[in-house]
Amino acid sequence: MTAVAAKPAAGSAMNPTAMVVGVVLLIILLVIAAVVSPGLGLMALIGVIIGGVLIGFGVHFVPVGGAPAAMGQAPGIATGVAMLAAGAGLAGLFGGAWAASQGFAIAIITGGIGGGMMMAITCMMVNFVYVFGMGIPAASGKVAKDPITGDTQPEYKSQGTEGHGLPFVSFVGGVTGGILGGAGGTLIYLELLNLYRATLPTLMNASAAQVLPIAVSVAGTFAIGMFLVNAVLTAYNITGTIEGPHDPKFKRWPRAIVASAVASALCGLVAILIVITI
Amino acid sequence: MTVKVEVIEGGIPHTKILIAGLICTIVCLYLSYLNVVTNTEMFSFFGGLAAVAALIWGSHTIKVLCSYGIGTGVPSAGMIAFGSGVIAMLLATKFGVAAPIVALVLAAVIGLILGYLANEVLNMKIPAMIQALTELAVVGALTLMGLAVLITGSFTFAGLTSGSVTLLSSISMPSYQVSFIGGGLTAVAFLLGAIAIQHPFNACLGPGWKQDRMLMLTAECGFLSMIVAAIMSFALVDAISAIISLLIALIGWVYTYCEYIKMSKRDAYAWLDSKPIPDVEGH
Repeated sequence: MTAVAAKPAAGSAMNPTAMVVGVVLLIILLVIAAVVSPGLGLMALIGVIIGGVLIGFGVHFVPVGGAPAAMGQAPGIATGVAMLAAGAGLAGLFGGAWAASQGFAIAIITGGIGGGMMMAITCMMVNFVYVFGMGIPAASGKVAKDPITGDTQPEYKSQGTEGHGLPFVSFVGGVTGGILGGAGGTLIYLELLNLYRATLPTLMNASAAQVLPIAVSVAGTFAIGMFLVNAVLTAYNITGTIEGPHDPKFKRWPRAIVASAVASALCGLVAILIVITI
Repeated sequence: MTVKVEVIEGGIPHTKILIAGLICTIVCLYLSYLNVVTNTEMFSFFGGLAAVAALIWGSHTIKVLCSYGIGTGVPSAGMIAFGSGVIAMLLATKFGVAAPIVALVLAAVIGLILGYLANEVLNMKIPAMIQALTELAVVGALTLMGLAVLITGSFTFAGLTSGSVTLLSSISMPSYQVSFIGGGLTAVAFLLGAIAIQHPFNACLGPGWKQDRMLMLTAECGFLSMIVAAIMSFALVDAISAIISLLIALIGWVYTYCEYIKMSKRDAYAWLDSKPIPDVEGH
């Protein structure tokens, strides 16, 4: 057969058995964490799971266009989820890490703003290129009216395309996704950093100031790793492209929540085991 | 229902590449243990060779996975490979001499669960998914471990977290900041590996895909990453060992680059009857 028939088959259908298995797996991982490290470790793991779910949910908002968008044949930013998530998430993570000493809430908010700003700039420049560079207006192919502004879309849509550019609702979705992703990434980083700062000095037999580079670096590496795992799993959920929160594919988010929670719990548990004495 | 876009026409079967890649990587990682036996850092270059072997295997796995239009682009496969690999690798370093084996097992478990999540919970229903994500996590973990060995000469947690600074050219002080993990070199190794694993199939895919050309490109990308890692290793191992690593990486890169160009020229004028772009709604 040809590539025509090779569209990804992941429909919007849910697999109830797999969802139950996922939830059971999540509970098992939480119980393991509670046994090996009650208190500090368990709290960190719960924070990591919340962060991972925020990332997974946030990616659904981001208008990912992929290759068709690069040719102006589909709305969205013309690249893949892995690149967008890495850009927005890491921008948020850096912002949040910079503000880590200012307190928990401020760091999370800074992380969210960092991610949101990165996406706002990206979305704006993408529309600049579309409108002034390629000469195409912004039009959604999935809805007749923009859910926020109420502007009609079909008149501006070129024939044979699925829409193009970034309509206002996609822009808002991108910024929302950036905020959620940046805040989630920062939450993972902060939880792991607190855990490592508390446990590494005794584990490595050194002073708190000496192990700080290790704690920061390991927490940062784990946060990046988990961010990418969650972002790519969500990318699989939306089969690569999505227009934003108004896209029918957005309704698939419950699956991604379960998958992100289990994946974060798994990776978070491994991250916690690193400070358990064997 | 998912239809495979391309089938592997001829060439070495994937299982063979899997087994060869796995054995080469583990053997090379353990050969670097000669560092401890002989109390030198001369054998660090085996880490780089392990990374190249793992990358060759990994890029073929990406080919197997991405032949089923997964819709997310080839780079995402490289990113999830290293995202899950780095987590397994960091924990595995705590197990001393058993680290490569622990990394292999742990990464396989993480990859298996991620594969299950992608295939069943997210309903991807791609036959190769679970095996591919398992393999990719292992490749990610072992490649990072190989690059870590190349840079520091060791794959244990203590070796990766401690280094020394020389003050006033005579007094040597232990420091956690001058180390693979403390210095943030993990992030550089992460991307050096991730780019090397996802680029070859991304560059070679299409109707003119040839297995040997893609694998040669992978080796070339692997050696290119090894050159950068070898340069970074000047900070953490002695100069002679770093020069050995750098020379091996350079020789490997020049050889694979010339071979790759030859293969590209060999394939350049070949004509394969590809269908015109069909009129199809996007996905």
